[in-house]
Amino acid sequence: MGQANVGKSVFFNRLAGAMVAESNYPGTTVDYAKGRMLLEGGYVELIDVPGTFSLQPKDRAEEVAVKMLEEEKEALVICVIDASKVERGLYLALEIIERGYPVTVALNMWDVAKGGNIKIDAKKLEQILGVPVVTTVAIRGEGFKELVSRMGEAKPVEIEKIIENVKGSKAGTHR
Amino acid sequence: MERKLSEMKYEEKGVIKRIDPSLRQQIAGMGIREGKEIKMMTKQPIKGPVVVTVDRSNTSIGLGLADKIVVEVEK
Repeated sequence: MGQANVGKSVFFNRLAGAMVAESNYPGTTVDYAKGRMLLEGGYVELIDVPGTFSLQPKDRAEEVAVKMLEEEKEALVICVIDASKVERGLYLALEIIERGYPVTVALNMWDVAKGGNIKIDAKKLEQILGVPVVTTVAIRGEGFKELVSRMGEAKPVEIEKIIENVKGSKAGTHR
Repeated sequence: MERKLSEMKYEEKGVIKRIDPSLRQQIAGMGIREGKEIKMMTKQPIKGPVVVTVDRSNTSIGLGLADKIVVEVEK
């Protein structure tokens, strides 16, 4: 899952080896696509959903995304974030975590963020969120090995725990 | 000086001061919240949406929503 135009379909194609339409324009995926990917020696179903700003849907495509999430109670969620727009991406990631899904966060377009001189401490973010955080450049396939190898580490995290971690890190006690 | 987002001028900058509680959740996912710096990029004619920059990313907001956001505008 992820917000609009962060590269979800590129992820899907990389992971499932399928050919879902990718474009440089937002709103390319308005329905969902299913595929298969190899995870820890077995095939699992992979679903590509439309982009959504949040879990409070505002249009048809967002409704599809939220409905898919709600139907797939056992899903392992990859939340794709545009690293150059990290705050609003984290908003969605936190909403998904709050609903109890095991989430892996992919900070995509890492090259764009770097080029824009945006520095993100992915390790620290991982400590605060308590879920795997990987940096990726989806169109070049960078970071996918790590993504796939670490998806299994994802587990549900209590939102209170994250709030605690944020407070801890602000007070400078967090290591 | 305070001004509604819908009344900001082209290229004007400011800090978001108040957001109507009814739409706070709706736009939080767009990275728009109180205390954020905001810049007016484009205003569309015939009551069209406004395009603003927050955190270096552009977002369009309907005029109806922009009416309910108050910004402390830089002089």
